[in-house]
Amino acid sequence: MRRLVAACVLASAGCTSVSDRVLTFSGSVVGRESEVIRRQLDRFQRAHPSIRVAVRATPDAADQRHQLYVQWLNARASEPDILQLDVVWTPEFAAAGWIANLDRFRPPGHEFFAPAIAAAQWNGSVYALPWFVDVGMLYWRTDLVPHAPRDLRELSELAARARDDRRVPFGLVWQGARYEGLVTVFLEYLGAFGGRVLDERGGVALESEPAQRAVAAMFDAIYRDRIVPAAVLTWQEEQTRFAFQNGQAVFMRNWPYAYALLQEPASGVAGRFAVAPMPAAPGGTPTATLGGSALAVNAHSDQPDDAYRLVDYLLQPEQMIERARIAGELPTRPALYGTRELEAAMTMPPADALAIIEHATPRPVTPVYSQLSEILQVSLHRALTRQQMPREALREAAAAMRALLARAKLDPPT
Amino acid sequence: MSPASAPPPAPASWRRHEARLAWAFVLPALGLVATVAVFPIAWTVWESLHLHDLRMPWLGRPFVGVANYVEAAGDRRLWSAVGHTGLFAVLTVSLELTGGLVLALGLDRLRRAAGLVRTAVLLPWALPTVVAALIWRFIFESPAGLATAMATRAGLEAPTWFADAVAAWVPLVLADVWKTTPFVAILLLAGLQAIDPALSEAAAVDGAGPWRRFTGITLPLLRPALLVACLFRTLDALRVFDLVYVMTGGGPGTATEPIALYTFSTLLQNLRFGFGAALSVLVFVAAFGLASLAIRVMGGDAFLERRS
Repeated sequence: MRRLVAACVLASAGCTSVSDRVLTFSGSVVGRESEVIRRQLDRFQRAHPSIRVAVRATPDAADQRHQLYVQWLNARASEPDILQLDVVWTPEFAAAGWIANLDRFRPPGHEFFAPAIAAAQWNGSVYALPWFVDVGMLYWRTDLVPHAPRDLRELSELAARARDDRRVPFGLVWQGARYEGLVTVFLEYLGAFGGRVLDERGGVALESEPAQRAVAAMFDAIYRDRIVPAAVLTWQEEQTRFAFQNGQAVFMRNWPYAYALLQEPASGVAGRFAVAPMPAAPGGTPTATLGGSALAVNAHSDQPDDAYRLVDYLLQPEQMIERARIAGELPTRPALYGTRELEAAMTMPPADALAIIEHATPRPVTPVYSQLSEILQVSLHRALTRQQMPREALREAAAAMRALLARAKLDPPT
Repeated sequence: MSPASAPPPAPASWRRHEARLAWAFVLPALGLVATVAVFPIAWTVWESLHLHDLRMPWLGRPFVGVANYVEAAGDRRLWSAVGHTGLFAVLTVSLELTGGLVLALGLDRLRRAAGLVRTAVLLPWALPTVVAALIWRFIFESPAGLATAMATRAGLEAPTWFADAVAAWVPLVLADVWKTTPFVAILLLAGLQAIDPALSEAAAVDGAGPWRRFTGITLPLLRPALLVACLFRTLDALRVFDLVYVMTGGGPGTATEPIALYTFSTLLQNLRFGFGAALSVLVFVAAFGLASLAIRVMGGDAFLERRS
């Protein structure tokens, strides 16, 4: 019945051949992303005349899209056949049995960035394929500081000096409101000090020296060195971009999307900034939190083979370059980064992007990532707004995480 | 045999017949109540006895008895949310009653353009809460908000309002007081206008000053109206959600999170249906208790004259 309706809709939209094979694709279909996806789906349908593709729009806000997917998949709906997943949802949906194990299609995992494929796996199998990558990066003002900072201490020094000498109000801005963004920033500081949230066996590793130093570094940047304004504790991506774009900040931690916007003529810093990896402390490694989207196939799809064919099509180099050109989203294939086609398509120099993506680190790959993240959001925000000592906040977060893993029956074997 | 000549039914069977008819008449209403009120409540109670976590579907939906309630009892975030809700109710209701009384006394004195002024006063209350909350959030935004700018101009160092566990309460309470004081004022104004002015005039003739007349005549006679306003506002404040959701999201940390917001995030963001249902049942029981109390108080005290 649903297919019939979809077919009728397509027929009335001008399609003459009414096919009985309709694939449903769901994901971001607003603005420029809509333009890209519609072009590519049209081309796919021309190449496969027997397959029709219907688009099911889903909300752009991650939480809302997640909720909708959960409703559909939990009810074992066979549609949508193809789902655009936020990179952190793959283990959750895989563990729930909602998305198909793609191993039987022999996906070319080695062709993608290793951390992006690692984040798309569960129990050693591939459940999704990376569509585009997002990485946290440091934007720096080329007119205010001589070079990108080599470590975290130099970042503080350069920020403080430029703030004092050049009368820039803020040294560094990042996303500090109580939401997922705060966790992505924390993970970069944590990696910079050589720490992690979960160890190899899946146990909680938050009560560690590196974790305490990471929170302390964020805390001190606000209250001791005063290079980060306390207002960031209410800021998300856009507020930090506005501050940087208006010339109020020397450094900004943000995602790639800001690059093209900051280069627009109306921007106050066009041509006067560059990007670099977030620096590390001595003993740690520069870390770029991995974001982005992956494509997965509904485990209850009636036509998994066709669905995978579409996924494979959307992941072809040609499609990724078009996506980079129109929507500004970074390809997941390292091989593309040396090509002239990508160079021509992107505002950000691909070499700069590649240098940062090399440091990309997935967020903890676990089916309960969202809940772990919420625990961290609350505890970190309490520590950074001086309601709790960092050590106490981390201890509480670790205890809550252990309880969560135990409840989920995911605690490490003892 | 015409119907008129049939013997009248015996009184007892006639009453039974009448009772059956009555049941038939109320049946649709009872059915409606059962489907929209009783069934969902019963279902929620049943759900609260299960482990049902849509974000952990691999656990299934086993019956766990009162485990969710045990978890709730030991949940510090829940208890602090109860504390925040109580604090919010006490602060806002006391300020709104005081402010509303002052406003009502002023409006009562008004002779010219009274209708226009009353309408203007009611405007904040007519605004959708989400819109009001957004405006107040802009005012207190850091560092560019109006409140911060004004404090700086006055030579004060403004806190980062929404990143400070204490200061974050200021915009929240202010926004609620701004928005609902007019409602309280109108309720009290109605009460004031029901007081016979002859009483006050007689007292004045007897030499009572304005303060004496206010405490001796106006306040006691206004008591039923004050009580109604207080109950309405308290019940409203205890279920506060939209204002906090928009302005602070319950933050910083969870320093301003009320029960309704915690239940919402448990149920609809974390998709913990079992535990969330247990929280909802607890809230339901508390609200039911408060409402019964309110009905008893209002039935007894607010309508004093009817009882006597």
